[in-house]
Amino acid sequence: MRAAQIEIQHLTKVYRVTEREAGVAASIGSLFRRRYREVRAVEDVSFRVAPGEIVGFLGPNGAGKTTTLKMLAGLLHPTSGSATVLGYTPWKRQSAYLRRISLVMGNRNQLMWDIPPMDSFLVNQAIYDIPEREFRETLDELVDLLNLEPLLRKPVRGLSLGERMKCELAAALLHRPEVLFLDEPTLGVDVTMQQRIRQFVAEHNRRHGATVLLTSHYMADVTALCKRVVVIHHGRVLHDGQLAALADRMAPFKLVRLDLDREANGLDAGRYGEVLESDGGKLVLRVPRAETSACVARLLSELPVVDLTVEDPPIEQVIDLVFQTAPGETARTV
Amino acid sequence: MAYWLRVYRALLKMAWSMMVQYRFTVLIWAVWGFVGPLISLAVWSATTAARGGAVSNGGVSFSRSDFAAYFLVFMIFGHLTMSWDAFEFAWRVRDGNLSPRLLRPLNPIHGDAAANVGFKTFTSLLLLPIWIALFVILRPTPPADAIQLLLAVPAVLLAAVLRYVLQYSLALIAFWTTRVDAINQLYFTLDSFLAGRIAPLALLPGWLGTMAVASPFRAMGSFPVELALGRVPPADVASGFVLQLVWLAVALALFRVLWAAGVRQYSAVGA
Repeated sequence: MRAAQIEIQHLTKVYRVTEREAGVAASIGSLFRRRYREVRAVEDVSFRVAPGEIVGFLGPNGAGKTTTLKMLAGLLHPTSGSATVLGYTPWKRQSAYLRRISLVMGNRNQLMWDIPPMDSFLVNQAIYDIPEREFRETLDELVDLLNLEPLLRKPVRGLSLGERMKCELAAALLHRPEVLFLDEPTLGVDVTMQQRIRQFVAEHNRRHGATVLLTSHYMADVTALCKRVVVIHHGRVLHDGQLAALADRMAPFKLVRLDLDREANGLDAGRYGEVLESDGGKLVLRVPRAETSACVARLLSELPVVDLTVEDPPIEQVIDLVFQTAPGETARTV
Repeated sequence: MAYWLRVYRALLKMAWSMMVQYRFTVLIWAVWGFVGPLISLAVWSATTAARGGAVSNGGVSFSRSDFAAYFLVFMIFGHLTMSWDAFEFAWRVRDGNLSPRLLRPLNPIHGDAAANVGFKTFTSLLLLPIWIALFVILRPTPPADAIQLLLAVPAVLLAAVLRYVLQYSLALIAFWTTRVDAINQLYFTLDSFLAGRIAPLALLPGWLGTMAVASPFRAMGSFPVELALGRVPPADVASGFVLQLVWLAVALALFRVLWAAGVRQYSAVGA
């Protein structure tokens, strides 16, 4: 791996939250004796990201993804551990650092609600000290890629969620950040717009070599953009590597799709593996990974097979499987 | 320097375009500034009439037209020095909207200060005819000293900056409590009396007057008003400015300390 642009070591964030029962009595009680509970949002997370890489950061709600991104963007102080991004310690919040990064949060906006996006863009030009020529070039490119022309002069409050997200992305990219943190950039937008945003992120990365760390609930975002994923669950890193390798490691089975030349009625397909689907002559079986080749050999010799394919389970299922497990367990129990 | 000019120009332009969007709301807010001074003026006019034409304390005396001058200038200066950020700031901390602002390489106070200046310049233009009309109707005493009148310009600018920074620092308490209303209430109560909004400080009883003169409230309240009217004893002009500068230094130090600690606190509990 080339020299890391993002380097995180043993990053840990523990929140201390007050806790009390519902009701008036509990409320009065909490005035005198506060009870605290520790929430370990991020636990000993370490990974590196090379310049120009797009890395998907996956995990269910509350896994610690956003907390990690916020620490990297300088919004949160970690409880322990270290991180450097572009050679800076993010939470020192130096201007020189903030000028070179961006964090886009799907549920927060930096654009001013009452005025057109263009006005906010001009403010960003001044704040980030972007020279006029560079600003025009970048803006033209963003307008072109994101099709912003019709939106630039409408007040933000009149834009749809998807339109607003496109403008948020543009606002975050005007200063050509070298590192881009995207937290659920496609949250709540329709499928077409999701695709558009994805294409845009890929194109931006290709053109400017920006490093991207992306979280999303939509696997399609991740499969489209990221070769590498870091899977985090209960604050810990479960997997760091190729997306494809995740299935090998985490899913202990493969799917065998069969096309038989006559109806499978009466056939005891359960002998070969767990039957997931059965529709006329078409069958989908779930087979333990280690037994796949033996099973395929038996299927081919014992059944009138027209077509047979062996696949990894869809990545959504793999991820789902991973996330259903408790901390410390592996997914192999399923 | 050129950077800051560009930043403030852009921020001001944005503030103005927001004002234009909400011109009526903005105007209603601005007109609120009339209420306090006009009520005070009405009360003191009645008192003056009952006392046979003037109210005195020590060697200082105010006639009806003196009160008119005092409260009219206070109305204008009060408008030019007003600040309301505490409410907005607390709300931003509570709902997390501070976060996008913290991502920028610029302290959020600059954006808010520009919005404040934008509001004042925009509304002053709208209010100017009303102010002129009030001067014509209420026939105030004209300024007594041309030099003090000129000095009132830097004094009112210092007062505006001081009030802004001090109020913003109070707003930062929202990082710890997210409920700054009570503290604000205390601030406004003290401000009503000690800044000279209800009565000119020269009319306050001895000990209260002395306390008020040394307080930051006079520095950001009646000091520029007294200068504009030529009512500051010549020996006290310099010390008035020194007090403004000292309080400004204190407010800036307070802001820096609270900001650094506050952001750390905000980022510890979950931005």
